[in-house]
Order: sequence, then C-alpha cells, then structure tokens
Amino acid sequence: MDFLKLLARLAETNTQTLTVTGPRRTALRRLAQAGTAVLPAVLTALPQPAAARDSRTAQDVLKLALVLEQLENEFYTQALKQPLSFFGTTENQAAIQTIQRHEQQHVAVFTRLLVNSGATLDAAPRFDFTGSKNGTQAALYPDVFTNFDTFLRVAQLLEDTGVRAYKGQAEYVQFDNFLLESAVRVHSVEARHASHIRTMRRQRGATVKSWVSPSDAPITTAGSVAAKAYAGEENYAQYLAGNNLVPFVDNLPINIATPPLSQAAILAKVAEAFDEPLDALTATEVASLFIY
Amino acid sequence: MSEPLFSDSFLARTLRRRSFFRVVGATVATSTLLLAGCNDNTNPDPAPTTASLTLGSGDNGLLNYAYLLEQLEAAFYQKVVDAFPADFTAEDKAAFVDLRDHEVIHREFFRYALGTNAYDSGGTSITFDFSSFALTTRAGVYAAARTLEDTGVAAYNGAAKLIADTTTLRLLAKIASVEARHAAFVRDQVQPGSFAASDVVADSGDAAGLDTAKTPLEVVELIAKFVPATIVATSLPTS
Repeated sequence: MDFLKLLARLAETNTQTLTVTGPRRTALRRLAQAGTAVLPAVLTALPQPAAARDSRTAQDVLKLALVLEQLENEFYTQALKQPLSFFGTTENQAAIQTIQRHEQQHVAVFTRLLVNSGATLDAAPRFDFTGSKNGTQAALYPDVFTNFDTFLRVAQLLEDTGVRAYKGQAEYVQFDNFLLESAVRVHSVEARHASHIRTMRRQRGATVKSWVSPSDAPITTAGSVAAKAYAGEENYAQYLAGNNLVPFVDNLPINIATPPLSQAAILAKVAEAFDEPLDALTATEVASLFIY
Repeated sequence: MSEPLFSDSFLARTLRRRSFFRVVGATVATSTLLLAGCNDNTNPDPAPTTASLTLGSGDNGLLNYAYLLEQLEAAFYQKVVDAFPADFTAEDKAAFVDLRDHEVIHREFFRYALGTNAYDSGGTSITFDFSSFALTTRAGVYAAARTLEDTGVAAYNGAAKLIADTTTLRLLAKIASVEARHAAFVRDQVQPGSFAASDVVADSGDAAGLDTAKTPLEVVELIAKFVPATIVATSLPTS
C-alpha cells in the first residue's frame, strides 16, 4: 500500500467506535506482538492450576477466530442446502438461517480486522463435517446432514466450543479496546446460538439445558477429542486475584431453595452459572475434527 | 419476596416512610438530616433529595456495577419464584428456579469479590421496583426477563474493555456468556426463534453479527426505573 495513503487512512480511523474501514494504528503496531497474559491450564477443582506463559499474539487470536467462524459458516451453509424435510419445520430452518447469517458476518468481521491490520490471510481450510477427513477414516458423524438430531449435536458441540474459545482468547486482546469489544460481542452471539441449539434439542427430547449443565446428557464419548470441548465445564472453583478461592462450597448464602439443595446440587448450579474458557490448542484440536 | 430493606438506624426508620427513599447510604445522610424536620405532608415537597448509590471508580466501580445488575436480576427472579403466574408450566418453573439460582450465585460472587468495597457493604440493600412489569402472566414475566437479560448482556459487552485486571476480565466473561444463554432462552419463550433477532444482534453495517454493547451510563439510564435511588456511575472508567 502507498505509504501516504496508509497514513491518511490511519488518521481517519476512529478507535472509539466500531469503524473498521481503515487500518488501525494499535492493531498495526501490536497485532503481531506476543501477549503478556497468562493462560490458565485446564480448570478443574482445587487447587488453582499452575499457569503457563503463553505467547499468543492478537494476530493469532484473530486467525483462530476466523477459522472457527469459517468452520461454523460452512457447517450451516451445507446444512441449508438440505430440503425442508431435513429441518422438520420452517421454524427450525429459519433459526439455522439466522445462525448461518451471523457466522458469515463474523467471518467478514475477522477478515476485515486482519486485512485492515496488514496481516496476510491464510487460505480457508477444507471441511468435512462427517469427521471422516474426506473419507480417509471412519466417519464420526456419518448422518450429520441427513439426521437433524445428529446435526444439532454437532451444532451444539461447535457453538459451545466457540463460546469457550472466545472466552479463552479475550485476555490476549485486552490491550486493545476495539479488538476486545469486537470479540466479546461475537462471544455473546455464539452463546445465544448455543442456547438456542440446546433449546431445540430439548424440545426434541434430549436431556439438555439451555446453559451448560452437569445434568446434560453427554454428546461426546469420554476420552475422545470431541469430549475436550466439555472438559472442565463442570468446574465450580472460581479464583479472584491473588489466588483467592471464592467460598461457594461452605460460606456464601447461595443455597436458598426450600428445602435447601444438597451440596452437590448447589455446586452443580455454580458450575452452570459460570462458563469456562478453552485454550487455543484445545479449541483447535476440536475444530480439527472437521478439517482435513 | 424482594430484597429486604435492612437497617436498624434511626435515619432509616425516618426514611422508610418515604417510598422513594429506599437506599440508605452515606451519601444519603445529609439529605436525611434536612428531611428529618419536615415530615409534614401538607408542606410542599422538599427540594430534590433523591438518595444516591455511588458505584465508585476503576475495576471496583465496574464490579459494583455488575453487582448491582446481578442484584436486580436475582431480585426479579426471586419475585417470580415467590409467586409464579398461574399459566406457568412445570418447565417454566424449573427454568426460573435455575435462573434465580444462577443470579443469586452471581450476586453473592460479586458481593464476596467486593468485600468492604461493595457500595452497600454497610449492611443496607435495595428494594427494587418492578411495578413497571406485568408479572401476573407467563407472557408478562418472560417479556420482563427478556428486558433484564438483554440489558445484562449489553452491559457486560460494554464493560469488558473498561476492565483493567485480567483475572477480573476472565471472570466477567465467564458470567457474560451465561447471561447471553439466559437471554436467548427467555427470548425464545416470548417469541420462538427470536434468540438473536436484529433488535439485539445487528444485521447490517459495521456491527453486523455483533451483539449489543452499552456503556455503563446507558445501562444506568435503562435500569433507573427499577432502582429507587440515583445511581452515580460517573466515576466509572469510560475507556
């Protein structure tokens, strides 16, 4: 790009609003710098796990987000090629259309952020949503586009993973108000999608709440890569700064039902009340089930 | 049941007679003293003496802000759970008990995190005013829940960038997506398929595909009618 033109575009960029038409100074300067945030390892219960240094850059974050959105967009786009009979009702079909449109818009958002920041876009991956890696191995979800319940299970897996992935990445773009706000606003849309997919599944007889709950019937096989999408979600231990464990177990007045819930039941509610982050490596591993 | 107005002070007893005076905090004390001598209702109303609720500054101010929102939501769901509408189904009831419990957990989480920095750590609390909602029917209750949950999602989306501490950001993000799940759920109950409709997720322009984000000052204006005090959010970070 012509240097003077670049300067002119930088000057007209407003970092206080969601204007993403021009390259942004901070993005250009810092997009490829290593972050200083600390990435928590997989969260379980006590004690606070040792934190590992992570050197992800904002550019890494945006590229991961773009791949996840491309994955979701392609997943719903392929589903929408199926006849109405696949969806069962026009309401179901309309909901998938809404979600697909958002994923397409998310692809546009992250593409724009990367391009305007001077990054080179990678080629979009090739996707196989049966999980057969283009026929080179046994399919995980052979009827994903012929059985609506299978489709919804994969949709829930992808949406819940997306919510967790954004949550895990927010801190790496915390230095930039614009990137962070964009990410959290996509994050909550993914959570709305996940909630709706779960509601649809429940209406079709599945044991699943609209929020992630230890009482959900598992949709993955224990020990599989897909199961990593939910590993740690049952966590109820939350830590404030200074490794200060929030005393949900025995101190806080949260057990107000009549009669009171058992300790296990109230801690299950605590687990529901907090979604947990997923680190980039695990999110990539889950996404890779559908990439060849 | 709503949040009890708790105070054993002389000032509070004086105040309780005036329905618009439900928050008893340090900032109220001076106006209270002025009022103490003019309880005669034949007098014209005294000069504006609305109680204030000061959230503070920095991350603590933002935590107080989130705490207030969670108190509001918890009080709302408790009110519904205490008197379910006649046309609530068993599924509705179970969902609202979950929603109530989640918000109580969020509320107590913030109360613990704030400790003595909580704006109401002096032992007082708010009785919220839900009279603008029609809570006797299923439709009315879900419509009210939609308003509160959408506001919560927009508030967390607008507050994230204002947080300085990474641990705090991480914790708020854990709650924000649960609120978004709540919002989508209650929206679907009001109108099937409206979980992410264009009134909350922009459908065109630069924000296409992005959920709503509101600044604390915008949110404070939206919730003012539920809070019988002037919320002072002017010291919160703005960038």
